[in-house]
Amino acid sequence: MRQFPLSPCKGNSWQRALEAFLFCCLHPVNWQTLMYMRVRLRDCRVGLRETPRMSAFPRAGDVDDMKAEGNPDAVTPTRKIGLRRLAAVGLIASSTFSGLLLLSGCKSKISDRPIGNPVAIHVPLGLPPVPIPPGNPPTADSIALGRKLFYDVRLSKDNTVACAFCHNPSLGFTDGMGISRGVGGMMGVRNAPTVVNAAYLPLQFWDGRAVSLEEQAASPIADPVEMNQTHEVSVSKLAKDSTYKAMFLKTFGPGPVTIGRVENALASFERTILSGNSAFDRYQFGGDKTALTPAQIRGLALFQDPKRGNCAVCHSIDATYALFTDGKFHNIGEGVGDDGNFKDIGRYHQTKLEADRGAFKTPTLRNIANTGPYMHDGSLKTLKEVVDFYAGGGNSNPYLDKEIRAIALSGQERGDLVEFLKSLTGAMPPNVGPPAKD
Amino acid sequence: MKMNLLLKICSAGCAITLMAGCSAKPKSDQPAVPAAVPAVTYFKVDPATTGSITGTIRFTGKKPMPKVIDMSEDPACVEAHHGKAFDESLVVAKNGSLSNAFIYVKQGLEGKTFEVPKTPVTIDQSGCWFRPRVLGIQTNQTLQVVNSDPVTHNIHPMAEVNREWNHSQGPGDAPLNRRFVKPEIMIKVKCNIHSWMHAFIGVVENPYYAVSKDDGTFEISNLPAGTYTVAVWQENLGTQEQQVTVTAHNSTASNFTFKGK
Repeated sequence: MRQFPLSPCKGNSWQRALEAFLFCCLHPVNWQTLMYMRVRLRDCRVGLRETPRMSAFPRAGDVDDMKAEGNPDAVTPTRKIGLRRLAAVGLIASSTFSGLLLLSGCKSKISDRPIGNPVAIHVPLGLPPVPIPPGNPPTADSIALGRKLFYDVRLSKDNTVACAFCHNPSLGFTDGMGISRGVGGMMGVRNAPTVVNAAYLPLQFWDGRAVSLEEQAASPIADPVEMNQTHEVSVSKLAKDSTYKAMFLKTFGPGPVTIGRVENALASFERTILSGNSAFDRYQFGGDKTALTPAQIRGLALFQDPKRGNCAVCHSIDATYALFTDGKFHNIGEGVGDDGNFKDIGRYHQTKLEADRGAFKTPTLRNIANTGPYMHDGSLKTLKEVVDFYAGGGNSNPYLDKEIRAIALSGQERGDLVEFLKSLTGAMPPNVGPPAKD
Repeated sequence: MKMNLLLKICSAGCAITLMAGCSAKPKSDQPAVPAAVPAVTYFKVDPATTGSITGTIRFTGKKPMPKVIDMSEDPACVEAHHGKAFDESLVVAKNGSLSNAFIYVKQGLEGKTFEVPKTPVTIDQSGCWFRPRVLGIQTNQTLQVVNSDPVTHNIHPMAEVNREWNHSQGPGDAPLNRRFVKPEIMIKVKCNIHSWMHAFIGVVENPYYAVSKDDGTFEISNLPAGTYTVAVWQENLGTQEQQVTVTAHNSTASNFTFKGK
């Protein structure tokens, strides 16, 4: 299902309504999408921008789950016709208002929207179409600009750290460190997650504190333990560079360099960092039954079997594609201390919900063989350690996810799972490495 | 306004009922670390009044055949164990003496509160084996869990009175420091990853406990003069008790014999 990828809390309510309307015009929309949009927009209105009530991948089961949790937003599918009508009426109303707003010719701030022709992003075998936010259609220029920015050390305070410092393409867009470091060797707090296929994630960062790639993109630039440079300084540094000046002009039209434009360009580049067409994809979606080894085929079966490995309950494999993440947050016990508390409370930072203590976002498993060490704190060094961690049932704590339990797996079965994980390494697209020097 | 007052009274009533209901229930889910307790007076042991209990635990009957433990599931364990591993659930020496029995003072110390030792009790996961297999610890004393192995373990004390927990420890990970807040004879411990690994922890409220050595002997010393019920526990053979009277400066013998088939 196509997600609703806009950042509902950006701009005013009119802009949001317009975005919602445009989204409905451009995409086939079902009742689940409408539901999700309604919830996201309402959350935004009441100031709950960090508390989306439903994943961007809502499935039929989600409604039941929400109902079981006593969520008043849960609606049973039997009510869906009424709901669709309700939502449609709401959207027609909002679009009318939006139309009026447009006619009144109100002048908005400097546009962050690229002016060139949108380009289609090539999607490799095993991945769904890339969700594109209505306000930032990728263009050849915005992708090229984002790529240049991604590899530019000038976005850091002492001109030593680029985005690629922690998201190194030769290390699967991670940094190979347990805990990442920033400018001047400053110690970060978590393991750098991969950028690969981040385009599909409904929320960014381990704790989901950004609702879009756009919102995520500029955050590490200003973070004191990452690139440690204010957005004002970044923008003025870029504006002084004639090459950038020309690129921004070509990409966004006349107007100054803004952090919004930097965010949009970075996000558009990141939407092209896709990895699929792995041995697993060729086996599962490409009809090549020889693509996996017998051990990997056994590992895949364990991975999917709810009564055995049960890995796919969170690291999802869908019928026509596989993201290996549900985009949600789970407590597996990693990082719990002797006193039962979490040094890093994860998702709780954002939601303040007790159940979210120590919960972190399910990471994708694509290219996992190249992105160690593992877990949000980089505490597990090898894939064998990861499989052993889950086989042992993680670490008990009051917030442990209900799906985490000890699994009786023989040594061979654990080895098969490790072998299967190695089959998820796919090729990178050709144009995501450092750009050629100007 | 009236309705509001009525509501408040109702909810207060409900809250009281709920609280009463809760306090009546046995709480099995106590926190790992207890909340600060008011200062207690610890019982001072006067060395002039103490004696000891010594004895030997024996087993009569057919000695069990040594059973080899198969670790081939995890080749790293086979390597780490250095040689064959044998089942240790009933280890009887040639002369019938029984090791790894847990001996403790079950009755006779009521009303006395003993200071918690500052030194931790260590259990090591080494060679894919818990060492020691049987250990005693005082309530609230620190249990230090060490992983000396090149593999991941997941220690799981299957406590019934205390809180049950499990924790993963990878190679080179820092030791865990945990405590048991209630007495419990015995907590069975397993590794969630290696099915053959077992240990037993006896949690007692005093320092008067021992584990029988390879020659079956044990000693509980520094015990105030008095009459006690001494109990012995063995994982396959169950428990036995004896009345023992300890006098100052003397060692009182207390031997136990488990009869096999």
